[in-house]
Amino acid sequence: MLLELRDLHVAYGDAPAVWDVSLDVDAGEIVSVIGPNGAGKTTLINAVAGLLRIRRGSARLDGVELGRLRPHQVCEQGIALVPEGRRLFTRMSVEENLEIGGYRPAARASRDASLARVYDLFPVLREKRLQDAGLLSGGQQQMVAIGRALMAKPRIMLFDEPSLGLAPAIVDDMFDIIASVRAEGVAVLLVEQNVGKALEVADRAYVLEQGRIVASGKPDALTKQPRIREVYLGV
Amino acid sequence: MTGVRPLPALGVGSVIVMLAALPVAGLPAFYESFLYLMFYWIALATSWAILSGFAGYFSFGHAAFFGAGMYATAHLTVKMEVPFLAALPVAAGVAALLAAGIGAVVFRLRRLRGELFALLTLAVTFIVATIILNTPIDGGAGVLTSSVPLPRVISSSPSGTLYLLGLIVCVGSLAIAWWVSRSRLGMGLFAIHDDEDVAEVKGVPTFTYKLLAFTLSGAIAGVVGGVHATYVGFLTVSETFGITVPLYVVLMSVLGGARHWAGPAVGAVLIAASLYTFTSGDQATIGRGIVALVLIVAILLLPEGIVPTVLKQLRRRPVTRATPPDAPIATQAAPKRSDAPVLVVQDVRKSFGGVHALRGVSLEVRQGEILGLVGPNGSGKTTLINMITGHFPLDGGSIRIDGQEIGHQPAHAIAQRGIARTYQIPRPFAGLTVLDNVRLAAMFGGTGLSGAALDAEAHHWLAFTGLAGKAASLPAELNLHERKFLELARALVTRPRLLLLDEVLSGLNPAEIDSAIALIRAIRDQGASIVFVEHLMRAVVQLSDRVVVMNEGATLASGNPREVMRDPRVVAVYLGKAHVA
Amino acid sequence: MPSLTLLGQSLISGVMLGGLYALVALGLSLSWGLLRLVNLGHFALAFLGAYLVYHLGTVWHVDPWWAVLIIVPVFFVFGMLQHWVFVVFRVTELTSLLVTFGISVIVESILQWIWTADFRRYETHYAGVSLKVGPFYVPWLELVALIVAVGLAWASWAWLRWTYVGKALRATAEDADIAAAFGINHRLLSFLLSGVCAAYAAVAGAFIALVSTLAPSQIWAWLGVVFAVVIIGRLGNPVGALLAGILIGAAESLAMAVISPAWAPVVSFTILIVLLLWQPKWL
Repeated sequence: MLLELRDLHVAYGDAPAVWDVSLDVDAGEIVSVIGPNGAGKTTLINAVAGLLRIRRGSARLDGVELGRLRPHQVCEQGIALVPEGRRLFTRMSVEENLEIGGYRPAARASRDASLARVYDLFPVLREKRLQDAGLLSGGQQQMVAIGRALMAKPRIMLFDEPSLGLAPAIVDDMFDIIASVRAEGVAVLLVEQNVGKALEVADRAYVLEQGRIVASGKPDALTKQPRIREVYLGV
Repeated sequence: MTGVRPLPALGVGSVIVMLAALPVAGLPAFYESFLYLMFYWIALATSWAILSGFAGYFSFGHAAFFGAGMYATAHLTVKMEVPFLAALPVAAGVAALLAAGIGAVVFRLRRLRGELFALLTLAVTFIVATIILNTPIDGGAGVLTSSVPLPRVISSSPSGTLYLLGLIVCVGSLAIAWWVSRSRLGMGLFAIHDDEDVAEVKGVPTFTYKLLAFTLSGAIAGVVGGVHATYVGFLTVSETFGITVPLYVVLMSVLGGARHWAGPAVGAVLIAASLYTFTSGDQATIGRGIVALVLIVAILLLPEGIVPTVLKQLRRRPVTRATPPDAPIATQAAPKRSDAPVLVVQDVRKSFGGVHALRGVSLEVRQGEILGLVGPNGSGKTTLINMITGHFPLDGGSIRIDGQEIGHQPAHAIAQRGIARTYQIPRPFAGLTVLDNVRLAAMFGGTGLSGAALDAEAHHWLAFTGLAGKAASLPAELNLHERKFLELARALVTRPRLLLLDEVLSGLNPAEIDSAIALIRAIRDQGASIVFVEHLMRAVVQLSDRVVVMNEGATLASGNPREVMRDPRVVAVYLGKAHVA
Repeated sequence: MPSLTLLGQSLISGVMLGGLYALVALGLSLSWGLLRLVNLGHFALAFLGAYLVYHLGTVWHVDPWWAVLIIVPVFFVFGMLQHWVFVVFRVTELTSLLVTFGISVIVESILQWIWTADFRRYETHYAGVSLKVGPFYVPWLELVALIVAVGLAWASWAWLRWTYVGKALRATAEDADIAAAFGINHRLLSFLLSGVCAAYAAVAGAFIALVSTLAPSQIWAWLGVVFAVVIIGRLGNPVGALLAGILIGAAESLAMAVISPAWAPVVSFTILIVLLLWQPKWL
């Protein structure tokens, strides 16, 4: 198992807490965590990315306990985050954002190859490579955020609400890209409100409600579960 | 607004009388002068803190107001032979006018970051200094004020008179600071300090209050300057407008605790005393170095300042607190539910930098109903709430409450019309106690209450939300659940016509959610109409009379919760087309 | 109206003066913009550097250029130590201002204790040497100061723009959490930058010693103008600080020639106020 979460408890400030979450992501797998706003999805992903401290339980990547690392060391293990709201470095150029993605020493050596790969994936970014990232459209910013994470040459990518605030047509593109990321052998942990899309792309999925996993399994099986309707529609 | 307790008041009174009697007792002139300088620094630091300490807008321009008062007095008494005491009000007026002028421009700036305010005020000081230096007011030669005749009160010596004037100014500025800190103005300033946006939404007229505080602060500094003009005997621009005054008042206030009315005074006494203990040559040099070192240590170890830290220590001891008065709350007769709309939102549009957040939203909220406002993340629910409360200006459309257009009113005016909101992530005023957070909302929320009635109302809603035991705590000592309920109490205390709840349930555990749901029902029974933004659908379906579903900045469906949530279009938005069975 | 030659000469001395402003402003701008620390002590540190260069030169006859080489590493270490205190006590933007004010007063006291409050002038054989360009005189030391200012500003800019460390510093200034998520060790970089800023103070100090008169109280004389330069040049932007320094130096100098020397201080602050009120996009 690549990423293994066991009885994870995270509670920090006013962020929704997460209780006793156990979850696995295998190499080359796409795992979605769905659930309504406030269920703790972002908390969960930020804890894995090292931005929030783990109170109890364990999070292991290939056996390495992530909870003991300092934030900047988590990336070294091969975890890259595409954060909610993109959080680009808006006053830096597109290319500089990508370079920050490839900051970790293991990724620096292949800077040029990685850049070329990102630009091939998102040709529009090559045109805008010298523009400030803050001036791009929402969809283009999301591309930079994904490209930035790819530059780190991760073993697993964490996507936090990649569809948020994007037009429907662009959302479709984003999920195609997520699928293509997996095709290159990178595992994906995806947190998403857009259930349809998240289940379509996933190999397995978990349903998070009020900080706890309430259902999990193959997308087809989950779709048929009344629990999902209840969680999302209340009826 | 607690009254003045008799015993401490007596103590304060006798100390003032004793200090006033000192010159008669034949105090050596050196001590008179030493004490005068204490009074001088106390008054100056206290006046600075009225805006900068209370509201948190750090000014580095205090020398401008102090200097304006100084030169106004010197000019009037020396060149125009106006009697000294008549010149002082003019000094106050000139300084107040200067402060009001700066404030009227600066406080209108869209995003006035703290350091920009500090630098702007510093820059104004240098400009005022240069103008005075190059005009006949000073002309570069300085002004000799030692021959200005001083009124002879009690003591016959000029130093005795100055001592008394200093005492009066000092006591006066402390009294004003004390009064402000307990008044509506002070409450508003503290709220601005903690979170200016929320303060405005809770009904605090932030612009007016900042301007008032700045003007008051400038006026007092002007009087202090007027008195000091005769103390120094000879005015030079470089001494008056130098960096000493602005920096020392900041340091004194921060050391003592700028948010407490007595903090600047404590800091002033400590710093001034240690400064004037070393007065000559080498000693003075080393003395200043030591003062600076103590200051560094104090700021590193007591970042909040001496007075607040000490008070906090005292409060930790168990105190037998008076139980709040049994709340004689006039229970409003709950208005019946009806189809009459309280709020009508029509074709409201808003975009941020080309992104259409709201593309023509229309909805109405009827008397006494709970309207569930739902939709996926980013569908525009919170933006709509921000538009209704006046946080963002409208791009188009109209918002009416009880038939009256509020779409273009400032947030504090909307709050006073009976619209209250809670924040998804609680935003309490961190420096105010739980009780004061609620009192503030009542004070500015258009309730028209004051004094004991206001306190009773605040206690009532704390009890209603189960926070009675936490009244004296600071928000940071509450857990998330309690902070969410504090949000509710702050909204409820204004007895709103319309209550906007932004995800009150998110992050709560199941037991807490059940208590919150019960609470919301109870609120409705009190007669408020409620708009309820929530992602926890179980609760939405249970609570709402109607729901409105938003998607991509527009309303998608509305009606009975159970029907709407089964509407295929709504299901498709939430679960994707595959789920529409 | 003064003659064109006089105006030209004023402009030249203004630009030179601006170079000096920029030298002092550089370190302040970088630590404020990238570390969110307002280091008031930067002025005091520069003057400490100036006195050290003066002392080394007059007492031990060390050439000023060698003196700079000696004090730069010492100051670098001092900057890191000061930053260590800031980190241990979690100093915020506001408290940094107050703490470094305290440091300034301590340094002022030390200067006064060792070198007294008298004005001192470091006479070197470079002083008074000028190049003659057409009808204008270009003072040699000031010209070197300007060249060094241009060099340092450009080098800092290039460092921030083209190296991983520089980009990491800029990224951290904007969003420290996300920067950390990509492997940036902010703690380490902030120590480095603090050292660099202190080293810049040493360089600025050397030129203060060479071209102006020293007195402990002069620490405060530069404060207003240099703050204006830092803000106008945009926090954390070294080239901005350079251009703003030159703009203000030139404007002051021209105002002195055209209106009267006494009104010169108004110029920089009026420029500052206008910019702050106008809030153009680039600020």
